[in-house]
Amino acid sequence: MRWRLPLVWLSLLLALVLGMEQLEWLFRWIESGSREVIYRRADFLTLLGRHALVVIVASSLAVVIGVGAAILVTRPAGRDFLPLVAQVASMGQTFPPVAVLALAVPVLGFGTLPIIVALLLYGLLPIVRNTLAGLQGIEASVREAAVGMGMSRYQVLRQVELPLAAPVILAGIRTSVTINIATAAIGATVGASNLGDPIISGIVNGNTAYILQGALTIGLLAITVDSVFERWQRRH
Amino acid sequence: MIELFEVTKRFGSEAAVDGISLRVEKGQLCALVGTSGCGKSTTLRMINRLIEHSEGEIHIDGQPVRRFKEETLRRRIGYAIQSTGLFPHWTVERNIGLVPRLLKWPRDRIQARVEELMSLLGLPMESFADKYPNQLSGGQAQRVGVARALAADPDILLMDEPFGALDPITRETLQFELRDLQSRLHKTIVFVTHDMDEALRLADHLVVMRAGRIVQQGAPLELLRDPIDAFVESLLGGEDRGLKEAALTPVSHRMLPLGPHPIAQARIHRDASLHQALAVMFREHVDRLTVVDVEDMPVGELTLRCLVGVHRGEPGA
Amino acid sequence: MRRPNVVLLALMLAALVGWLGLESVNVAANRIVLGTGFRAHQVVGWPGALVSCLPLVTVAILVRRATRVRLCWALVLVVLMLMAMPAWLAIAADRLVDPSLPQSRLGIGPANWLLLFLLLLSLIELRVRLALSRWAAWWLLLPVLAAWWLALAFWLEPLALLREYRGRSDPFQTAILVHLSLVGAAVGISLVVGVLLALAMRRHAGIQRLVFSVLNIVQTMPSLALFGLLLAPLAWLAANVDWIAALGISGIGWAPALLALVGYSLLPMVRNTFVALSEVDAGVIDSARGMGMSHRQVFLQVRLPLALPVMLEGVRITTVQAIGLTAVAALIGAGGLGTFIFQGLGQAAMDLVLLGALPILFLALVADTLLGVLASRLDHRRDAGVPQ
Repeated sequence: MRWRLPLVWLSLLLALVLGMEQLEWLFRWIESGSREVIYRRADFLTLLGRHALVVIVASSLAVVIGVGAAILVTRPAGRDFLPLVAQVASMGQTFPPVAVLALAVPVLGFGTLPIIVALLLYGLLPIVRNTLAGLQGIEASVREAAVGMGMSRYQVLRQVELPLAAPVILAGIRTSVTINIATAAIGATVGASNLGDPIISGIVNGNTAYILQGALTIGLLAITVDSVFERWQRRH
Repeated sequence: MIELFEVTKRFGSEAAVDGISLRVEKGQLCALVGTSGCGKSTTLRMINRLIEHSEGEIHIDGQPVRRFKEETLRRRIGYAIQSTGLFPHWTVERNIGLVPRLLKWPRDRIQARVEELMSLLGLPMESFADKYPNQLSGGQAQRVGVARALAADPDILLMDEPFGALDPITRETLQFELRDLQSRLHKTIVFVTHDMDEALRLADHLVVMRAGRIVQQGAPLELLRDPIDAFVESLLGGEDRGLKEAALTPVSHRMLPLGPHPIAQARIHRDASLHQALAVMFREHVDRLTVVDVEDMPVGELTLRCLVGVHRGEPGA
Repeated sequence: MRRPNVVLLALMLAALVGWLGLESVNVAANRIVLGTGFRAHQVVGWPGALVSCLPLVTVAILVRRATRVRLCWALVLVVLMLMAMPAWLAIAADRLVDPSLPQSRLGIGPANWLLLFLLLLSLIELRVRLALSRWAAWWLLLPVLAAWWLALAFWLEPLALLREYRGRSDPFQTAILVHLSLVGAAVGISLVVGVLLALAMRRHAGIQRLVFSVLNIVQTMPSLALFGLLLAPLAWLAANVDWIAALGISGIGWAPALLALVGYSLLPMVRNTFVALSEVDAGVIDSARGMGMSHRQVFLQVRLPLALPVMLEGVRITTVQAIGLTAVAALIGAGGLGTFIFQGLGQAAMDLVLLGALPILFLALVADTLLGVLASRLDHRRDAGVPQ
């Protein structure tokens, strides 16, 4: 029951992706001027898969690196780097993701790789920032009590700090993934083939039906993922 | 003078304050005491109509409070609360001048009044006028809160646990200052607190509340000597209440005239409390003290027997 | 004896390796062909390259004992290095670019980008360690910007970025204007609507839930998708309703862009305004009323001024976000700096991409700093001194 809403969104998403052909009448009505009203250069399931793959790879790396870095700079050994990392994580978020994506291309070239790198870099920022906020937001007395009761540093981290910081960290991951889904779509302009493709080609060819197909699918993907996070966060 | 006649306040079907009657004479300090949730704050806030009473009547100087416009009423009544409620975006000077400004006093009169109050409360103008509330210590902020409540020279002052958030030492200092202030200004004050010692120290009239009703009211000494039930007794400190009574009674009330026997070494001021006298005896291991006046001249003596009032307990004394 | 500043040591070491190991500049005959890369020693020879490393080494030595004086010197050196970068490019242009080929151009190589990045990080680190204000950091960047401007105006003619700009200085100015107008309009509209919504939400809890759930969905929507979804109905309206078409609204262009931008801007605006107004200390409001202030006075003199810094934070978030999203709006023909990014990506002309991306970055940073400073100005009196 608790997962009903995410499941509803997911089934809507899958229904749309698999049943796009069945909706031809609808798109025909919307885009009566064109001969072709369903985007056929690649099927939607493949596009969805690629989109999801890029986001999953970039986001998981960002989670590992981001949470890891934030933990590192809050330990005694890495504390020297804390001010810089905290500053960069909060300043970096003023950079628009599009600009980061655009800057990645000259350095890394076209294709899927620069997108993953750009998403990874940009996705790090909210995660690092929130992990830092979560870890630093823990009351000193709690940590002291844990140490005082004889927990090792690692035990304090695993059993006290991370669980207490988890809701804030999760919120950071949610922000990061939301941005990544959106930015990946723009990646279609730098040669990655994903759900952004139908939109871009719709804009280029003046085909509203293509645009709608892409936009609806990405929109549903984003809402599905977000509703999963929503559920997840509520448990914490 | 403030009078409450059978005042009741209901939130929904529940009565937070249940038919209480109370009379605070002009120039009196009335303390409302009780555990949290007993309706003491609600009672206070009904007087300046921050909360409207459901039944009964509240009069100020014989006039029902509902006859006034809310704002007009409140500008006539000083109001100070716990954590001061100072406006963090205004300087001390501006905070204190708030009510006079609301009353549209001329600028120089406000200025003069603010200066007067700041010196009255021991806040030097030059070092405090331009400070913001967050730059003040707890005690200083509380003084500003009191100054602000006094700004338009209201006859009536409502104070809701004004010293509740302070450390014990600062609290005691401010209690002393308030008593001193009161002896000069003679305001009619209603004071809410859950700290019985504070209430005993400050109040002329003590009102003990429980579950929206008044359990007992009267002068502090009356309550100490004759608590109406176990609740009031425990609130007054149980077995300790004898010491509290001693703390409220000055030495001059029990001292004897100077006798023929030699003067005792240990001394006590005539305005000190019996509690302090007892402490001196205990410390010096004596049962007799010489009572002195301001100039340190012996004016009487105090024996342990008369301190504890042995003769009062004896029939026919 | 102070401990060394490990952070700056690491940054300088990385800069040193990058500077000598990566290509500093590249030179191309025209905008389409791939350029040839040159490392530092290929530009000025090994002795020159080693001399160019001296400031990095000096900073590294300075920060081995991180006293305040030494850090100040390091700061001076870092700023000087940032000022020297355009000079370095000018030297490279002079040595490598053949003046007889009018199309040949100098590109900034990865070594230079990396150095710029690491030096800016050093600047941030030094700013934190020396506890300088945000303003101070911007003052420090002033001579750097002046140096770049001078070099660009007089000596860096062959710089590819500049060539791209020279080719389209008028469209560039228009693009900035369009970009700023779209951002300004979006922020302005969402500010007005957002405040009204927040006020309505304070009255009715039902509106609060509705508004938040709708805006949350909008905020979750990827920008490209939202622009796309707005495109279809607006195109239909423009085709079927005369007065809408007469307003210049069509499926493509500024209308869907502005609508989507306002949609995105509303959530941070409404949330911050609502939270700001709701979270004013209850004791303050209570005593304001207790002193006899009217509802209007309480709102205008107490609640609103106390909420202002948080509301301004909402404006800041909204503005920065809108600057980025407007770049995406170029895809649906709204104009603005994003146009150059997507044109450049389409033509594989990387310097054109930079011409769009760098000003966007700059705008975002400036807007962030200005609004941040404004908010802290309003707020500083509450940060100062003892917290309550």
